[in-house]
Amino acid sequence: MKKYIIFLACVVALGSALNYFTNSYIQAIFISFIVNAIMALSLNFITGLADQFSLGHAGLMAIGAYTSAVINKEVMSDQWYFIPVGVLIAAIVAAFAGYLISLPSFRLKGDYLAIVTLGMSEIVRVVLLNWDHVGGPRGYNAIAKFPEFYLSFGFGVFLLALTFMVMYRLKFSWFGRNLWAINEDDIAAEVMGLNVPQTKRRAFVISSFFAGLGGGFYAHHLGYISPGSFSFLISVQILIAAVLGGLGSLSGSILAAFILTFLPEALRSLPTGVDIRMIIFPILLILMMIVRPQGIMGRKELSFDALMGKFRK
Amino acid sequence: MKSVEVKNLVVNYGLIKAVKGISFSFKAGEITSLIGSNGAGKTTTLKALSALLPHMGDVLIEAGSTSENISRLDAPGRLRKKIALCPEGRGIFPNLTVTENLMLGAYLNQDKTKISQLIEQQFEMFSRLAERRNQLAGTLSGGEQQMLAIGRALMSEPKMLMLDEPSLGLAPIIIEQIFQKFVDLKNKGLGLLIVEQNASLALEVSEKAYVLETGNITLEGKGIDLLNDKRVIECYLN
Repeated sequence: MKKYIIFLACVVALGSALNYFTNSYIQAIFISFIVNAIMALSLNFITGLADQFSLGHAGLMAIGAYTSAVINKEVMSDQWYFIPVGVLIAAIVAAFAGYLISLPSFRLKGDYLAIVTLGMSEIVRVVLLNWDHVGGPRGYNAIAKFPEFYLSFGFGVFLLALTFMVMYRLKFSWFGRNLWAINEDDIAAEVMGLNVPQTKRRAFVISSFFAGLGGGFYAHHLGYISPGSFSFLISVQILIAAVLGGLGSLSGSILAAFILTFLPEALRSLPTGVDIRMIIFPILLILMMIVRPQGIMGRKELSFDALMGKFRK
Repeated sequence: MKSVEVKNLVVNYGLIKAVKGISFSFKAGEITSLIGSNGAGKTTTLKALSALLPHMGDVLIEAGSTSENISRLDAPGRLRKKIALCPEGRGIFPNLTVTENLMLGAYLNQDKTKISQLIEQQFEMFSRLAERRNQLAGTLSGGEQQMLAIGRALMSEPKMLMLDEPSLGLAPIIIEQIFQKFVDLKNKGLGLLIVEQNASLALEVSEKAYVLETGNITLEGKGIDLLNDKRVIECYLN
């Protein structure tokens, strides 16, 4: 109980600090970090824990974003206080889409699965590009936004905490251990009586749910989405965050999302004439993978208790 | 369960026919072996029998007068019907201890006291594993890993045990020890289906044997008879 209160106090303190001491630029980056962290967690659940390589999370994110935006505008009279409902529905729709995608694609594994999921996400993007009702290539405009930063911040932190808690509990549950078994040796897991195809599908549906959640929040954070916002590169960025943080480490994903969101922005303000951040950032990533190929955290989790223990010393 | 009857088993990898409609059976209390060269379809047959691969044809469990078709069941379902597979290349979990690996073999069993009884049984049978019960499985030698894999398959209390290349990569003396265990298991009433490249040893211990060639059964008979069969000697025993 005590740590939840400390956590809540930290969140409130951080929120007020961001609200009063920083400008809207830094606030917007922070919200982007929350979206990226949710997406990285979502991918890490399926790629890190179950070792099922997906390159299609931008597609699931797009489904979530468009669903949430369309529902808010056309069904919920464009009011900001209906955003949470829309985001929840978006997550459910994305989970269902994930289920449909998983039916044919989870007969494959490894690189083949990555290519199929990539194809699925491109299909989603191309459909959106040609669907005039949602704006087609012009994108979907004037989506309801939270009127104040602290509302947006509070809702974002809530979603991130929810995602993290659910996945953390699942990781150390019976279900999470089934995923580990598939990760280590899927044939051995299957001959011991684990229903491998079903377990993989369930994990993908859970992952899709949270990808939809992240996508929905993203739409209401920016207020404008277009098919271009969910290109292949976004899937790759999500993957980079998951790998950098450590495949299988949920807290690592959040840490990596933080670094990957703030580092390019910090490098942007370097007082060099040329845009040197485009060189520094990839070099940092490459060095990281050479020095620590298992990612920042490996498979471990950042433990709150261990951290407090270190402070006491 | 008296025997497992396989009828017209067909397995395809896309357009490639790996197993072309074979029929055979294996019985409780007997060792049946399936021999053949690389690519004959031995492993594919075992994988299909434990539903790791989709297949056509029937798999029937014969128990006295009744017979039950299990060809529609998935992998866990077939394990519940007491048909277990010890996969090729052992497939143990290297980062778990010996005991933990054994516990995983009883995945479908909820009864904790029963599980610890079963673990003790495996330790009794493979005393080497008992000495190393808290060691990480990845640090075991090849022979010990194979024993662990067999023990783990036995944790589901199978009536029929299918073994895919149990001698793969092991020293001859260890192979003999392991085959001795197979004979012990057979005498306890278990039915074993062994897929082997090491044909001479497999044929020596088998009651019945089948020779598989490019997806077809070309020869069948008693193990001893096949051991003295001219064609088998020429193709597999030199």
